[in-house]
Amino acid sequence: MRWLMGFVCVGVLLAFVGQAQILRIAFDAADLKTLDPHYAAATMDRAVVDMLFNGLVRYRPGDITVFEPDLAESWEVSTDGLTWTFHLRRGVQVHPFPGAPEGYELTSEDVVFSLHKAADKDRSAYAGEYVGMRFEAVDPYTVRIILDKALSPSLFLPKVADYAGGFIVPKGPYEALGPRFATNPVGTGPFQFAEYVPTQKVRLVRNDRYFRGAPLLAGVEVWYVPDVTARLSALVTGEVHMIEGVREQAWVEAVKRMSGVVVDVFGPGETEVLHLNMSKDPVSDLRVRQAIAYALSREEVITAIGPDVAEPLCAAVPPYLAGGLACAEVAEKGLLYETNLELARNLLAAAGYPNGFEISAYITERASYRKPFENVQAQLARVGIRLNITVVDHSSFHTLIRQDVNPLVHYEAWRPSADAFLTRFYHSASIVVTGAKPDTNFSHVTAVDGLIEAARYELDPARQAELWKEAQVKLLEELASYPLYVLKFVFARSEKVDYGYELKSSLALYPQVTELTRLK
Amino acid sequence: MRSRRVRAFLRNRTAVAGAVLAAAVILAALVAPAVAPHDPLIQDVYNMLAPPGGPHPLGTDDLGRDVLSRILYGARVSITVGVFSVLIGTGMGALVGLMAGYFGGPLELGMMRVVDILMSFPVLVMGLMFMAILGTGMDKLIVAIGLVLTPQIARLAHGAVVALREMEYITAARAAGAGPWRILRRHVLPNVAGEILVMATLWMATAIRVEANLSFIGLGVSPPTPTWGNMIREGVRWLVVTPWLSVFPGLAILIAVLGFNMVGDGLRDAMDPKLL
Repeated sequence: MRWLMGFVCVGVLLAFVGQAQILRIAFDAADLKTLDPHYAAATMDRAVVDMLFNGLVRYRPGDITVFEPDLAESWEVSTDGLTWTFHLRRGVQVHPFPGAPEGYELTSEDVVFSLHKAADKDRSAYAGEYVGMRFEAVDPYTVRIILDKALSPSLFLPKVADYAGGFIVPKGPYEALGPRFATNPVGTGPFQFAEYVPTQKVRLVRNDRYFRGAPLLAGVEVWYVPDVTARLSALVTGEVHMIEGVREQAWVEAVKRMSGVVVDVFGPGETEVLHLNMSKDPVSDLRVRQAIAYALSREEVITAIGPDVAEPLCAAVPPYLAGGLACAEVAEKGLLYETNLELARNLLAAAGYPNGFEISAYITERASYRKPFENVQAQLARVGIRLNITVVDHSSFHTLIRQDVNPLVHYEAWRPSADAFLTRFYHSASIVVTGAKPDTNFSHVTAVDGLIEAARYELDPARQAELWKEAQVKLLEELASYPLYVLKFVFARSEKVDYGYELKSSLALYPQVTELTRLK
Repeated sequence: MRSRRVRAFLRNRTAVAGAVLAAAVILAALVAPAVAPHDPLIQDVYNMLAPPGGPHPLGTDDLGRDVLSRILYGARVSITVGVFSVLIGTGMGALVGLMAGYFGGPLELGMMRVVDILMSFPVLVMGLMFMAILGTGMDKLIVAIGLVLTPQIARLAHGAVVALREMEYITAARAAGAGPWRILRRHVLPNVAGEILVMATLWMATAIRVEANLSFIGLGVSPPTPTWGNMIREGVRWLVVTPWLSVFPGLAILIAVLGFNMVGDGLRDAMDPKLL
């Protein structure tokens, strides 16, 4: 309690002198969903847990292509690739929580507890990532992870990085708070949780004992403002310093022209893919899927969104990931399906639909799905494919597509590796409704199971990437999906905000706030 | 009598102005395909968010569709939903109100209490409720708004019948052996028709407004069909960039709602014996 009062006093004082370094960020959300990092999936939730928690290793802030130490100072892997040993940093303090007003030092017991939690499907949404792993505390500062089958570093390290299941949830506060943990999270990060006002905001304060040094900001407030015009006016009037923008070029360009406002367009971005449901007539016919592909113009959809924000995606795995397939490589294989309406009509005729056909699909009200889908609708109409769209709210959409009702599913996703993309969207076990572990295989494709599994346990990175690429070529031949583009993230900020690092890409899906972030 | 009412209506400048606005909207709906400069569904993504002027008098939306054409076609949805939902509401409302008023007793008590309960909900909340049950789509929108209007008309018809049912000529008709349906049709309905007509015109404006509201929150007609509510909703994201995307369909709603309201008010005044 004393620390809290201390913070209140400091806060009041700082407010009086007008120097309060409180960074306010407004997100496109009506409220938080959960702040348990092992469940947090939406942008606004990932952002908050990113400021509160650490992983064993972390993606370098602003650049996700580099891993660097986080809670672990160093790590090594045995020559057989089965045993990973992590040496923990000493003196890492868990934030204060009820029952421990000073917090306590994080040890291997907490790390092992957290990994077990992440691997437990009743306490984590990412349990599937940790199948076939054992976790051991060798001593208070050493953690060992033993794998049933060896994994390459590019597949293993993301599982223990500062993302999703890799966030370390300390045992003490999780057990003390029980179900309240989801709205009263306690971690080890640069900021600690102070207050949650439902549908309004979450308030975080500086963790003075953060192991990388006390943050420059006194605190961070995360506001929930679902209306983009309201967010933008809050930014312009100085009420907030940073907002989630509209991921379209026209918006970026208009807001860039405003004085005192900087717009960041950054990666890695989410893939926007049209999944073609091979279990539904007439899409089940390969010729029909080819007709759809030849009818579509990727370039036109990208133009509708804007080429600075949407980059072409020609295969299942985006080219920035190991094993991703660039458009040039797809072109070399002759699998670009460049727009050819004549050919599309002929293919439809050959499949027995000389006058096209009619199909119906649900789409969410969210503009980043609805707008490209409406463009696809208009494009398909040119070859006589009449796509009827029913707009529903976002969560209904997610429920409906998982019940396998759509012949075409537009899906927006980011996954940390080629394996995750391929397994979750194209492995037969992931087929919606009927798969062994129903997930997001909307196309019902089964042709690449072997390649996905072979790649997963391939330790030679070059050979692994080859297998992943082979799987994607096969998917393009089968036309399980028509990849559209990679949609980057768009945030606008006051020019006063200095991130403290160079922003190229962020896995936290927002420009990360670190101990070095400040208001100029 | 009838011509005096027509003259009273025509003398009322507001009413005439309203009639002109309403007629303009109806005309737009009827001749949209002939006068719209472009196909409202054709997307031209290479010419998105174009400002008003040139080949697109009111600019283009965020998929490069012509805003003027979409507004003209949007009038069709507004008028269709308005007319049919008011027909449903008036038909059902009049039936309920006339029966309850004429037969009286427990039937009247039961029906009118249900009407009272339904009327205690704001129109939009009721619309939301019915849309949540029925789902989205133009047909469902019409039914939902029709259901919303039913209690309003029922209350009006009921009040009028209660005043009439003790009149001597009704008693005389009954004494002459006329059955209840004949009396309702021949003697009661003609006497309340005027009031119902006024009410229906006023509710036409409300129906258009509710349709726009429901479309705005995404419970209306599915894309790509343009409706004014959908257009405003899609334009909201672009308020700071291209405000006309929301402003022009907003003006269209203003014109339609104002027009039908002014006509309704004028009709009411013209029907009111005290003002003659």
